[in-house]
Amino acid sequence: MNTGSTSGEASGAGQEEPAAEATVLRMLLGAQLRRLREAAGISAEKAGYEIRASRSKISRMETGRVGLKLRDIEDLLTLYGVAGERERTKVLALARRSREPEWWTQYNDILPDWFETYLSLEPAAATIRSFETQFVPGLFQTGDYARAVTRLGHKAAPDAEIERRVGLRLGRQDLLDGRQQPRIWVIMDEAVLRRPVGGVLVMRAQLRRLTEAAQLPGVRLQVVPFAQGGHAAASGSFSILRFEEQDLPDVVYIEQLTSAVYLDQRADVEHYLEVVDLLSGEALSPADTMRFLEQVADDT
Amino acid sequence: MTTDETAQGGSNTGPLPFDTSKAHQARIYNYLLGGKDNYAADRAVAEAMVANYPDTAFTARANRAFLGRVVRYLTAEAGIRQFLDIGTGIPAAGNTHEVAQAIAPETRVVYVDYDPIVLAHARALLDSSEAGATEYIEADLRDTATILAQAADLLDFSKPVAVTMLALLHAIPDSDDPYGIVATLMAAVPSGSYLAISLGASDLVKQETMRSIADSWNSGSQQRVTWRSREQVARFFAGLDLIEPGLVPVEDWRPEPGTTDEGKSIGWCAVARKP
Repeated sequence: MNTGSTSGEASGAGQEEPAAEATVLRMLLGAQLRRLREAAGISAEKAGYEIRASRSKISRMETGRVGLKLRDIEDLLTLYGVAGERERTKVLALARRSREPEWWTQYNDILPDWFETYLSLEPAAATIRSFETQFVPGLFQTGDYARAVTRLGHKAAPDAEIERRVGLRLGRQDLLDGRQQPRIWVIMDEAVLRRPVGGVLVMRAQLRRLTEAAQLPGVRLQVVPFAQGGHAAASGSFSILRFEEQDLPDVVYIEQLTSAVYLDQRADVEHYLEVVDLLSGEALSPADTMRFLEQVADDT
Repeated sequence: MTTDETAQGGSNTGPLPFDTSKAHQARIYNYLLGGKDNYAADRAVAEAMVANYPDTAFTARANRAFLGRVVRYLTAEAGIRQFLDIGTGIPAAGNTHEVAQAIAPETRVVYVDYDPIVLAHARALLDSSEAGATEYIEADLRDTATILAQAADLLDFSKPVAVTMLALLHAIPDSDDPYGIVATLMAAVPSGSYLAISLGASDLVKQETMRSIADSWNSGSQQRVTWRSREQVARFFAGLDLIEPGLVPVEDWRPEPGTTDEGKSIGWCAVARKP
């Protein structure tokens, strides 16, 4: 579908980390398979033999450098004695995600490569910490707020295209209903709450939506009030995605106008970790943030 | 042992400043447990400690496992429903309220720490059961008045309370009167309450080893350590009745069958009941 309509995208996108999406998901998968193999006390040779592959293919697969057929992964899980339906499903779902089109492929015409990477990382993360300076995070936007934000970036776009962009944005929110959702820990500058994107009525509904979101299990919101924390002003928005697997690095995601940056070198990541660690200590606690949100909603 | 500037200069009792250029105890511990909430300075100190004594990481894991066993014991066998957990640390698997509330959902836990990074993570990541409750207090252990006053918002001090201080008291030099601090806390809780302590031992391995671990720690850290001998640890429990097996290395306190993590820790621990 939508073939031929993506040419406009090709120009600026995909420069940063062409294969980051597949790589990180494959690394996740590989790390899990290695842990299962080692727990079962099975050598890489024996695992390779089981699926008619070499020892080195197993080792490349376990470090995320190559993928495997689903059938081979099923055979390996059986060899490793992984019989529980839940665990098998979890690994296989990850394998599928690392190789197959996702829900957002229906938005291929409007979805830049650099954002697709984020969409694939988001549901695989265990925890996402982010700092937002301007806008309500996409995961918590109302349709009207999302529409207003989208219009800011695409002033001349026809309504139909705007709706598709909003659909993509809101599609991510299915994550919040999932039982295996990542923990979402957001720190927002007070400006996010004060800027009436879409007008007062839209903003009022958006603030109500935020107070509801703050009560979702696994969601933590904190606000840095204007009165506090000069550090908030020193940084732009970013997110840090953390994965359960001990050997996977945190990934920092920074969105720019026409592309995004993904950082996973420890030295780079650490600067951002420091900002969120510092800000989460300075920001209002989640409980005080609830009260603050209600107060801002009353003022709006 | 090592000279102690903190002690000579008089300790502050406010929150620890957030500083990633110096190691923090909570983040060193997080690294030793395999966590990702640590910085280069923390890892450097932790690695130097491991280089001096390879089972340093085992000690951290064994201490964490001790936490699980002692909270299970106190909840399931001693009937404790209120915990005052001082020196919370960065949340990891099996936090005090999770272990306790899995057995008795109505359990109330007050966490106390003076490291802002710990409080931020604790507030954001620790979810109480519906039936129970958790609270977080930012206070230095030396400020017992603040701890007791704020803990009283959630805990009923007319009923037994378990006071837990795991891997904590080695950060309090003798000049800050750790024995007085523990005595003050235990005086505030009624008969039938419990005290659980674990801390770095000066006499489980060679003295030179412990001195070099302390040097690694002190050179890069905001906090300074004082290791204590078995006799010195026993003094914390004066007037209390030690629970079997008494004062032992952390891995030897009521070990559970099937434990595969083996090593020789450098931490003493004990649990006692207030008569």
